[in-house]
Amino acid sequence: MSSGSSAIVAGARSEVIASGSIGKVVRRGTLSRGRLQLDEGRLIRHDEDRRDLEPAAVDDPEACLIDLRVKLGRLELRNPVLAASGTCGYIRELAAFVQLDRLGGVIPKTVTMRPRAGNATPRTVETPAGLLNAIGLDNDGLEHFLEHHLPYLRTVGTAVVVNIAGETIDEFVAMAELVGAAPGADAVELNISCPNVSHGLDLGIDVRSVAEVVTRVRRACPLPLIAKLTPNVTDLVVIARAAADAGADAVSLVNTFRGIAVDWRRCKPILANDFGGLSGPAIKPLALRAVWEVARALPALPVIGIGGIANIDDVLEFLVAGASAIQVGTANFYDPGVCERLVAELPAKLEEIGATSVAEVVGTLRSNR
Amino acid sequence: MDGTAAGPAQRLVTIVENRPIARDTYVLRLDDPLTASAIRPGQFLMIRPGGENDPLLGRPLALYNVVRDPGGTAVGFEVVYLVIGRGTRALSARRAGERLSIWGPLGNGFGPPPAGGAVVFVAGGIGQTPFLALGGWWLGRESCGGVSYAGAAAHSATLLYGVRTSELAAGIEDFERAGIAVEVATDDGSLGRRGYVTDLLRRRLEGGARPGKVVGCGPPPMLSALARMAREYDLDCDVSLENHMACGYGACFSCVAPIVQQGGGTDLRRVCVEGPVFGAAAVDWSA
Repeated sequence: MSSGSSAIVAGARSEVIASGSIGKVVRRGTLSRGRLQLDEGRLIRHDEDRRDLEPAAVDDPEACLIDLRVKLGRLELRNPVLAASGTCGYIRELAAFVQLDRLGGVIPKTVTMRPRAGNATPRTVETPAGLLNAIGLDNDGLEHFLEHHLPYLRTVGTAVVVNIAGETIDEFVAMAELVGAAPGADAVELNISCPNVSHGLDLGIDVRSVAEVVTRVRRACPLPLIAKLTPNVTDLVVIARAAADAGADAVSLVNTFRGIAVDWRRCKPILANDFGGLSGPAIKPLALRAVWEVARALPALPVIGIGGIANIDDVLEFLVAGASAIQVGTANFYDPGVCERLVAELPAKLEEIGATSVAEVVGTLRSNR
Repeated sequence: MDGTAAGPAQRLVTIVENRPIARDTYVLRLDDPLTASAIRPGQFLMIRPGGENDPLLGRPLALYNVVRDPGGTAVGFEVVYLVIGRGTRALSARRAGERLSIWGPLGNGFGPPPAGGAVVFVAGGIGQTPFLALGGWWLGRESCGGVSYAGAAAHSATLLYGVRTSELAAGIEDFERAGIAVEVATDDGSLGRRGYVTDLLRRRLEGGARPGKVVGCGPPPMLSALARMAREYDLDCDVSLENHMACGYGACFSCVAPIVQQGGGTDLRRVCVEGPVFGAAAVDWSA
C-alpha cells in the first residue's frame, strides 16, 4: 500500500494535505451535494457553484476531503476498516462482493506452521444475535499459504495483515520470520487468542508469554506487529500493556468469548468441539468495554476494535471508544458487502459531527462520572 | 464452477410470493432477473430471513425453479423450504412486497446430463428441491445460466421421493408438469410405497434398469446408502450435500465434508465452494 505522507492530519479543519494518500472512498457518481471537496488544496463545499465537478472527478483519491487514514504504530492504512481474520477466508472469497482496494486492509484466515484439518462438525451454531464457532484453525499450513495465497494477496490493492498462530513461541517466531521474508505482507497479526486450540489461548492469557512472544517476533520480523488478544482474561489491560511494552505496534481487541450451546434433549453441547467462541452483535458491548478500558489505560497504544461491528454507527462507536481502526468479522458472513459499504459511509458520518479526519474522533469518549 | 457461470453478488430483492405448498413447506418467489438468468441447477442462494440481528445468518436454499415471463426471459426464481428452525420460521413470516437480502448464485451446480440416457433423482425430506430445475435443464426444456442441453438432453427423468408422511410431500405436480415422473415412498405408507426411498431405487435396479445418471439429495444416511448402491451397481452417481452453513461463500469453513483427495486420503473441504454437488464416490461416507 502507498503511504505518501506519513503525517496523519488530526484536527485539521481548514486545510488538508493534498498528498495523494488521502482515503480513496468516494465512488464514481456517488457524490452528493454538500459533500466536502478538495480544490487546489483548500476546503470548499460542493454546491451549486461547483456543477463543473463531474462525477468522474470524484473517483480521484484526492477528491475526498475527509482524511480517513489511520496510523497503527508503523502500519499506515488508507482507512480504518479491515476484514477480520477467520471471517473472509483467504480474501478471494470476499472479492466477489467487495472491491478490495477500497478497504483499509484485509486479514486472511489464521495460518499455522503445519496444515491443520480443524475440528469436526458442527463447527458453528447460531445464537441470539451471535455466532458460536469452533472451526479449529482449519488451514493448509504456512508453506501453502506463502505459495498459493500470498501471491494473490499481493494483487488486492490494500494492506495485507497476515494472521499467524504457532503452537509454541518458537513456532510463532519461525513463522513470523518466514512471513517477513516473503514479499506481500504489510503486517503480522499474532493470534494468541484462539479459543478453539489450546496453545493459542494459553499463550494469550499469560503476561510473560505475551511479552516473550511479542519481543521475540519483533526481533525476528521487520513488519509492523499486531497482537490479537483474547477477552477471556481477568484483566485485559495487563495483557495489552505487556504486548505494548514488548513492542507491539497495536493490539486487536477482541477475539471471541468462550461459550457453549446446549442441546438439552440430547444432553450434549451442539458444537463437536463442545466449546466455541462467541462473536457477532451479541458481544458488541463487551468488546466496546474492552476497547475503552485498554485505550484509557494505555493511550499511546493503538487499538483495533473488533466485536459485532455490522453498521456505520458501530464503527463510530468503536472509534470514539478508543479504537484507531476496526475489524469487521461475523457481519461478513451475513452481509458480504458490508466492509466496502462501511468505508463508503464513513466520510458522511464524520462530516455529520464536523470531523475532517478519523484520527480526531478516536478516543473522544468521555465518562459520565 | 466452469467459466460460463456468473459470479455471485449480494442484493436486496422483492418477495413476489411466499406461499405454503405442504405442511411446514413454502415456496418463495423472488423478483430477481440477474440471479434468475445466471443461476444453474444445483447452485444455491443465501437468503437472510430476519431483520437486523436475529436470526443473524442467511440460510442456504437451492434453486427450485427459474421464473420466466411469457417471452421466456428469466425474471425471478423460486426456492422451496421446510420450516425447521428459527431462520426458516422467520422466513415463513415474510410477505409479498417485502425485501430480502440475498447473495448468490453460489456453489458449483450440476454438470451435463447423460445424452440420450435416463436420469433418476433420489430425494429424501426436503431434498427434492434442486431436482425440478435440474430435470427441466437436463431434459433440454430449459436453458439455465446461458447453458442449454437441447441437443444433448437426457431421454427421461424420474424423481424417487421419500418423505415421512404424505402431508410433507411438496411440489409433486410441479415435477410432473416438467415432464419428470414421480414415485413416492413414505415412512408410514400414507403415500406411495411404505419404506425408504432407496428401496424404490433398488427395485428398479433389480428389475434391470440402468440409469445413465443417478443424483441424490437428502439426509446423510440416505445418501450414504445411495452411494453404496451406486458402487454395487457401478452407477454414475452425484450427490448434493446439505451441510450446515454460516456464510455460503467460502469465508467461514463451517460446512466442511470429508472429501476423498486425489492421491489418497480425505480432507475436510468446503461444501459451499467445492460443492454442494460431489461425485458419490468422492465423499468419504465412513467419516
